[in-house]
Amino acid sequence: MAWFPTVSHKNRRLFKFSLIAILFLLVAFPGSTVGPFLGNLSATIFYSPFFKFRNYIESLQNVAVENSRLRNQLAQMSLQLNSLVEARRENQRLRKFIGFDAPPSFRLAPVKIVSVMQHFYPLSAIINKGKYDGIKANQTIVSPFGLVGKIKEVMPHTATVQLLTDPGNAISVRVADSRQIGIVKFSLENGMILDNLPADANVAKGDLIISSGLGGIYPSGLPVARVDSVYANQGEIFKLVKLRPAVNFFEIDELYVLVNEL
Amino acid sequence: MKIIPYILYLYLLAFFYSILSEIITIYGVTIDLTVLMIALIVFYKSEEAALWFSSAAAIIAATQRPSSMPWEIISLAGVAVIANQLKLRMNLESLVSRLIILGGFLLIHNIAITASISLDNFAFVFIRYIIPGTAYTLLVGWLIFFFSDNRSLLKSANEPS
Repeated sequence: MAWFPTVSHKNRRLFKFSLIAILFLLVAFPGSTVGPFLGNLSATIFYSPFFKFRNYIESLQNVAVENSRLRNQLAQMSLQLNSLVEARRENQRLRKFIGFDAPPSFRLAPVKIVSVMQHFYPLSAIINKGKYDGIKANQTIVSPFGLVGKIKEVMPHTATVQLLTDPGNAISVRVADSRQIGIVKFSLENGMILDNLPADANVAKGDLIISSGLGGIYPSGLPVARVDSVYANQGEIFKLVKLRPAVNFFEIDELYVLVNEL
Repeated sequence: MKIIPYILYLYLLAFFYSILSEIITIYGVTIDLTVLMIALIVFYKSEEAALWFSSAAAIIAATQRPSSMPWEIISLAGVAVIANQLKLRMNLESLVSRLIILGGFLLIHNIAITASISLDNFAFVFIRYIIPGTAYTLLVGWLIFFFSDNRSLLKSANEPS
């Protein structure tokens, strides 16, 4: 039986490879829930102690600075709020007058980032609320500075946010002043760019870029970026417009989910 | 196969992805700890340990992006198997040969994961991030190999003949 140990060893290797192949197929199968389940399990068992530790340290560091910043912001915001309330009333009156539907109204539900997935640049983030907290796929995520992304996957207690800096995420936008429509994309080479903007479009450095509301996922009017530089080559149909994101994706922390109240 | 050290290694990976990675990132370039740990387990432990560890490490590495989990599993298990075959067939006592093999695996893993996310501007990503990331990880790997080799030399010198 000199051959027995060899065959047994081979069989053991075959068994190990088969298990890995089965795991691969279970995870790779389209629509499979095994991948998200394993991700959730791993987040609960391995990541949660570090998330809690990190949150604790960050909250200690940030309290004093945040407090002072928020006091300043509150004073400025309350001044702005008064004028905005007036403008809203006027807008409602005028909409009623010309027969427009009421715009959708949103509530901000605060969420906390527990982890950011980076592959050279932040691509997605996990937030501390999920299906049991009423989070749904495709809900919009914002920060106090502007649009951050959308909910991509929802797990029972957490959810994955696809950030605007994910190359697979594109969003329809407008130049706030000229109302010109374009598409914001992100690539590692050029950073955030405004695509599909005609060569004769009126856009200049410093212009605010806001979400257009087209596409049905993101509501209109959310700040996305500011124009950083404009390149218009002769003979080209579109301009290359490089943008400076409204949100610093390396420092995102407290975010809000836009919950449609209608 | 003792399981507790490997569970601690998995916690080290989770610590790396949740806290450490941001601290040691230089101009967007960070180390690929997962491949480094799998290579270390293959070189200093066994293929079996490396295979199980690579599957668990793939799940931890892809926790925040479950869509890249299949690529992580295949690329990391591939690293474990190929590294073991190279260990059986080549003389890996030389530090340089271990670093060359490690460099190859780092490139394969990073290319596989980048391809699973997006192939846009691949050449730029390769030059700007993948090559510096590989060099950074090799530097850390060199330090680990260097200290590990010196420790075993010291141990054997102190043993009574």
